[in-house]
Amino acid sequence: MKTVDTRGLTCPAPLIKTRQGLNEASAGEDVEILIDNPTSFSNVKRYLSDNRLPYTVREEGSLAIVTVRRGEKTELSVNETEYCTTGSEEPAPKVRKTVVAVSSERMGSGDDVLGTKLMVSFFRTLVMLEPPPAAVVFYNAGVKLAMDDSPALDHIRELSEKGTAIYLCTTCINHFGIRDRLPTGSFSDMYQIVNILRDADHIICP
Amino acid sequence: MSFDLLTTVETGGCSAKIPPRQLEELLKDLHLPADPRILVDISTHDDAGVYKINDETALVLTTDFFPPLVSDGYDFGLIAATNSISDIYAMGATPLVALNIMMFPSSRIPMEVYREILRGGNDKAQEAGVSIIGGHTIDDYPPKYGLAVIGTVHPDRVITNAGVREGDELVLTKPVGTGIILAGHRLKMTTPGQLAAAVLTMKQLNNRGAELMARHSIRGATDITGFGLAGHALKMARASGVTIELYMKNVPLLDGTYSLAEQGCIPGAAFRNLDYTEGDTLPADGLDYTLKMIAHDAQTSGGLLMAVAPERSDKMLRDLHSSGDPEAAVIGKAVRRREASLILA
Repeated sequence: MKTVDTRGLTCPAPLIKTRQGLNEASAGEDVEILIDNPTSFSNVKRYLSDNRLPYTVREEGSLAIVTVRRGEKTELSVNETEYCTTGSEEPAPKVRKTVVAVSSERMGSGDDVLGTKLMVSFFRTLVMLEPPPAAVVFYNAGVKLAMDDSPALDHIRELSEKGTAIYLCTTCINHFGIRDRLPTGSFSDMYQIVNILRDADHIICP
Repeated sequence: MSFDLLTTVETGGCSAKIPPRQLEELLKDLHLPADPRILVDISTHDDAGVYKINDETALVLTTDFFPPLVSDGYDFGLIAATNSISDIYAMGATPLVALNIMMFPSSRIPMEVYREILRGGNDKAQEAGVSIIGGHTIDDYPPKYGLAVIGTVHPDRVITNAGVREGDELVLTKPVGTGIILAGHRLKMTTPGQLAAAVLTMKQLNNRGAELMARHSIRGATDITGFGLAGHALKMARASGVTIELYMKNVPLLDGTYSLAEQGCIPGAAFRNLDYTEGDTLPADGLDYTLKMIAHDAQTSGGLLMAVAPERSDKMLRDLHSSGDPEAAVIGKAVRRREASLILA
């Protein structure tokens, strides 16, 4: 683990040090970034998700600790073995990539209370799925499921720990004004979302 | 000059603007006066307001001021005045008179610095043929300086954000990167030459570009300032009802800009501008991340971005190159309105 201390620095110095730390870390080594400047915190997160670098966040008072997981590539990145087979060989069995697309806080329509209950239950069950989905993409009111007071948050965190990439639509986050209330997941733009959906073998829309 | 103005601020120049998304939100409920003599107001996000006096003359009014972005008071004055007057040129108008706007902490900074800032503003105004005929000072820290400028234009020859037509090519007159270079300078990551080049472009009036716009009958243009190349292009596209494609590889950059941005030297204002554009912007497949962030770098006293009919763009470029804007380049094109107002390629 490599630690980058940006405490006391203002924009864009924390980002520069983050970039330096990522360059200097050896392959697969996690990088931990300490940030105490809220603007830099948000910009560093944005920078990491734009560059498809998976990370987790821990907050201790006014200090944020961002850990860039360099060991765990998201499953959506190119799998080298797919390119290693020569024409005469049988192609290697491909792992099917499942992506879950969540566009609402509730599952189904009819009764809102029931719909919320079902959605929480959906995520509780999703955690048990083997292998876990490659990614969950949240958009429109779906992003609210990842908020700090969401009953589904613990399950989403569990998914993230099992290696599922969590993507939150930035436009939606801004629309609802909930940027500061999302303890997990990376912010992504429509370009990234479209690519994730395109690369999926199948898509579950609860 | 012994006093370093950069010690008074964290972000200077146009980087100190209110985030554009927040500003739009704030202005949206404001009642706009309905008067047929008002030819341009804030509804098209233009650089200045235009008020018709008679069939021959319209007044063009603008104001702009900001905290220091360089160490030297005289340079700060020159840059702030250039930036303020630029909005008049961007509307196709001729600047005439101006007022100083100054906020200065009389007990914390030597008054000598105040004099230097005003001297810079005055010298630049003179170069532009503008008379400064008054002003106003408030005791405040950190210092801020700029002008309120009045110019005139023929009512039929106003150049606005809304004057871009499908098929027009977009010509940019100055290189981009002042926000990144100034941030890099504060972190001691630039060479003296790189800083000097950035300061030089910020002190350069957009008067020659404005003259050429008049000669080539340009109808759509803006100057590139705090919202960055992408932010201003987006505003133009929306006001004109077209989609603008920007080819980032063709954009002239100040020396050092790319390598600084690649190292993570991306000022906070660029992220604010990105927040503003991304809902209505389509990044092309494979767009380089560093170039995308450079497109959002807040510029201070940037160049003109003008919409030129394709058959005239070669001549326009030649004229710009020979009249003192050697780096002017075609950096984009206006096309029929697509799913997003701006396409970054």
